[in-house]
Amino acid sequence: MTTAAAAPAGIGDGGELRRASGRLRRRLLFDRAIGWILLAAFAVVLFPLFDMLYWVSANALPTMSWGTLTENQVGTGGGLYPMIQGTFVIVGLATALAVGLGVAAGFYTSEYAPPSVARLARIAGNLLAGVPAIVLGYFGYFLLVIYAGWGFSALAGAITLGIFMTPYVYRTTDVALSSVPKGQREAALALGARPHQYLGRVAFRIALPTVLTGVFFAMALGLGEAAPLYYTAGFNSYPISNLTSPTGTLSVVIYQFYDNPASFGHFLALAFQAAFLSIVIVLGLNVAVQLLSDRYRRRLRGLYQ
Amino acid sequence: MNARAADSAPVLSVEHLSVFAPTRRILSDISIDFPGRDVTGIIGPSGCGKTTFIRTLNRMIDTTPGLRVEGAVRYRGQDIYDRAVNPVLVRQRIGMVFQRPTVFPMSIYENVAFGLRLLRTEEETVEEVVRRSLTRAGLWGEIGSRLDQPALELSGGQQQRLCIARALAIEPRVLLFDEPTSSLDPIAAQKVEELFAELRRDYTVIIVTHNLQQAARVASRTAFLYQGQLVEFGPTEELFERPKERLTQEYITGRFG
Repeated sequence: MTTAAAAPAGIGDGGELRRASGRLRRRLLFDRAIGWILLAAFAVVLFPLFDMLYWVSANALPTMSWGTLTENQVGTGGGLYPMIQGTFVIVGLATALAVGLGVAAGFYTSEYAPPSVARLARIAGNLLAGVPAIVLGYFGYFLLVIYAGWGFSALAGAITLGIFMTPYVYRTTDVALSSVPKGQREAALALGARPHQYLGRVAFRIALPTVLTGVFFAMALGLGEAAPLYYTAGFNSYPISNLTSPTGTLSVVIYQFYDNPASFGHFLALAFQAAFLSIVIVLGLNVAVQLLSDRYRRRLRGLYQ
Repeated sequence: MNARAADSAPVLSVEHLSVFAPTRRILSDISIDFPGRDVTGIIGPSGCGKTTFIRTLNRMIDTTPGLRVEGAVRYRGQDIYDRAVNPVLVRQRIGMVFQRPTVFPMSIYENVAFGLRLLRTEEETVEEVVRRSLTRAGLWGEIGSRLDQPALELSGGQQQRLCIARALAIEPRVLLFDEPTSSLDPIAAQKVEELFAELRRDYTVIIVTHNLQQAARVASRTAFLYQGQLVEFGPTEELFERPKERLTQEYITGRFG
């Protein structure tokens, strides 16, 4: 073949090791082409993200001032302070609820549940994750706002949003606990640990970085969802002083003010500002969670060898 | 069946033990007495039931769903499969070290202290026991000055000896080893092996191994399992030099397995 014929000529000039030929050459070209195609796909995926970031920033920043963060919304003007407060309160409470329920359910499914129950639980979790947010919104509206008689309130919003977020925390907790190396469980039990002691002292330590990522994912989704809150927390232009008042949130501002018949001038600006703030909060949250979970992940170095 | 040195009364005795999987029998009617303060080796080809057998001895078998155990395993006279017996207490008395090191993602100190923390031992005592256990496992000289370091940073051999120290810390009477050196390099394996000579003075040690030389070196008695049955059990020298069964003879001369 060519290689054999070329070999003598290559001796001395190092060409033997430098010039690929024939089939190998085609394979290398193909490999390079795949690299470019993947890069292009990556760019196509990223383009909308950067376009959206630019579009939101360009529309929000020129109209923003310190007052955006500190003032109440008045008429078509003012700031978003009440909605920032409402978002933190509602997403904070919803996260607490989702973490409590999701982590407990994850523990149960991965360690205690008989296999058949665990399978059902996982299916139920996926189903709940698949329920459209607006359906959960109506569910919260009828159950909490109307039936329980709470009216539009931060609490009704937080509970509804918490239920919306729970399956994401549940799934990551379950997956993270189930993928802990089996030897860890055996070793703990062989030392006289009860299952809950294994979970608390060993498994959760290993699952924590992954669980944190799941919690972040749930929070990011919760921050962006208007549907579960629109019919439960309602809206408020003023900051709240208790959990039973109607409460404004950034996501509802975006929904209500962006394509509203009354949307003109400052209403539209408020919608863009709210979008911009939501993105900043998610970004900040992402960085914080990354740093935190990196710290916990460092403890696990060497575990999966 | 009476080997030298060992305490006369068996610490652990297995009576007509069988283990069933849903569609087949893994162990058939095994009876063995393990005397105290001695090392017993369990040999046999892959799939003969060695690992299943050793896991019945401290009820680790409970953690594998779908298996059924028949017969009795008596620890100092008490059947550990008795309904009133708590498997957690069984495992505190009968420790186990696995094939691959299973250190927890914590400091060296916390690894050894793990079992003691479960027992809510006072910190002063914990410190002392950690030191003593690491010394017994031959690790104190190597790592005694860096107990705060993550245990996962140790070498494989050190990790395995750390697992032994961790098992020793809760002061069991029996120690089970499931192929403790098969994932280690020869030098690390030798260090672990050297420990057995120490451990035999205070513990009843049972080692599953597929390494015949290892059994010959460390065990004073050896049991040969084949296809879930106990073929032969006796003093190691006799079993290796004058086996009573033809099957044993064939296995130790390398004709199968």
